[in-house]
Amino acid sequence: MTCKAIIADDEKELRTYLRSLLLEVWPDLVICGEAANGKEALELVESEHPQIAFLDIKMPGLTGMDVAKHISGLCHIIFVTAYDRYAVEAFEQEAVDYLLKPVSKERLTQTVLRLRDRLESTSSPMPRLTEVIENLLSKLSVQSGRDYLRWIKTQYKDSIRLIPVEEIDYFKADDKYTLVMTKEGESLIRKSIKELVDKLDPGQFWQIHRGTIVNVARIDKMSRSITGRGILKLKERSELLTISRNYLHLFRQM
Amino acid sequence: MDFSAIPIKKPFDARHILLDYFYTIIISALIALFITIVGISKPFLPNLVMSLSFGVSICTLIILLFRLFNPQQVKTLPIVLIMATGVVGGMIIGSQAGPFILLHFFSIVIDARDGQYLKTIVMALVFGGTVSYFFYSRAQLKSVGEAAEKERFNRLASEKAVLEYSLKLLQAQIEPHFLFNTLSNILSLIDTEPTKGKSMLIDLIRYLRTSLSRTLPDATTLDQEMETIKAYLNIQKIRLGDRLIFTIDVPDTLTQYPLPPMLLQPLVENAVKHGIEPGIEGGEIRIIASEESKYLRIEVVDTGLGFSSFNASGVGIANVKERIKLIYNEKGRFFLEENKPHGVKAVIEVPKVDL
Repeated sequence: MTCKAIIADDEKELRTYLRSLLLEVWPDLVICGEAANGKEALELVESEHPQIAFLDIKMPGLTGMDVAKHISGLCHIIFVTAYDRYAVEAFEQEAVDYLLKPVSKERLTQTVLRLRDRLESTSSPMPRLTEVIENLLSKLSVQSGRDYLRWIKTQYKDSIRLIPVEEIDYFKADDKYTLVMTKEGESLIRKSIKELVDKLDPGQFWQIHRGTIVNVARIDKMSRSITGRGILKLKERSELLTISRNYLHLFRQM
Repeated sequence: MDFSAIPIKKPFDARHILLDYFYTIIISALIALFITIVGISKPFLPNLVMSLSFGVSICTLIILLFRLFNPQQVKTLPIVLIMATGVVGGMIIGSQAGPFILLHFFSIVIDARDGQYLKTIVMALVFGGTVSYFFYSRAQLKSVGEAAEKERFNRLASEKAVLEYSLKLLQAQIEPHFLFNTLSNILSLIDTEPTKGKSMLIDLIRYLRTSLSRTLPDATTLDQEMETIKAYLNIQKIRLGDRLIFTIDVPDTLTQYPLPPMLLQPLVENAVKHGIEPGIEGGEIRIIASEESKYLRIEVVDTGLGFSSFNASGVGIANVKERIKLIYNEKGRFFLEENKPHGVKAVIEVPKVDL
């Protein structure tokens, strides 16, 4: 029986390479299409009904993982990746087929043998693949951690500039908006302190008052006023910031 | 141009002491003149000699006491104590030494009983006040200055160490993903288009040569930087095909311009990694160098995905910013802007130097 496969990789040269290797290792295999991104891969699977899909993981638009989720059960999937320690570890745990770039002929031969075995014995490809991939994705996303705000966009003359959050001394509420205070000056952003708190890394930024969030790295010292209120001095800044009672616990160990 | 030197001032002690004496003599002479003109005591010569003997005694004593106790911090109490001891002691010594010198060198007798004694006291008091005030403020200024200088030096030294370290890290951050993909491409091209494969390999070598070198020179030229960047972009061009278009626009007059190494490269790599590579459509990267009246301006502009995808990066950008600040102080600038209609524009401005 003739077998059909698609190759999805955003790098043209690598599609050509895999195709030529496959031709050597498995001359009967028909490559019925090549895709340059995830979306094209999905379309190809729908129109050509291949039994096998070679999916590069890092593709623009939809990644190889995303595509695999959609087409699981429809065809056998082999992931192709250049380098990803975590992904490879995860693949091994979940017994998913994968190839490392540059793809070697020996390794591809192994994969092809395994594929042929599977195609002959059972007709339906891994039924619980969706589950496996969900598992993989959750494993992989844990590695990257939560994305906190790293840049603040501010208006500068007629263009929009980016300020890395590390450079911000503190945020100060100003009516509905917020003033971003840096060494270079201050700028207004259309976000409230409340919105900001959720988006900033709590290890890096502390709210110390209803209207103030400080960059922990910029704190010079904390002192108590006669009335017991906390007062914060930042490095290279003259003004003093008030810590309200609700947030004093942050400084207990300092 | 040497970017590594951090200037620090080393105070020269003997010069300070000589200066102290010089000022003391000037002040003494002025006080003697003042006393003579106002008429507290008539002849100038004895006034001058008395004045100098008070001044020099107080000055010497204070210097000795400062040496002996060497108060480290700018605390008022120890300094005031040293001053007071110096003034009182100096006055006692001066009131003995002055008449002695006058008698033996100038044969002038000062009689303590005919009111000269009172004048001596007045003179001593005027002196004590003036000289101690002078020394006090100088001591304070000096130690404040020294403390600030020391602090500045420590800060610069540690900042430099951190930056050098992070620059090394940055260099080591050649992405395995990039490397393996490039090698796969070369492997493929060897069969299909050997000439293209060869030139890609040459570009990779050129790129690795700079990116892996352990010791970077303090400065390269704009041209040399562009060579590495071109090699990098050539590689990416083969990988990404139509998705990447790039132009490098450096006027001939600027090619020899000195520039710290690895300053532009992170910006270009960022543009590819976060702007072009993750997009289906890809985009264009333009590198433009231009000369303004006071500075050299280099822009790395991409028409890629823009800030939204930019979130993942940071290390490279922060490093560029820090290094510019350290090397050029307030005279260099780095900022990121939104490129219209989409993409990111990274701008470096460094002060102009004569070629």
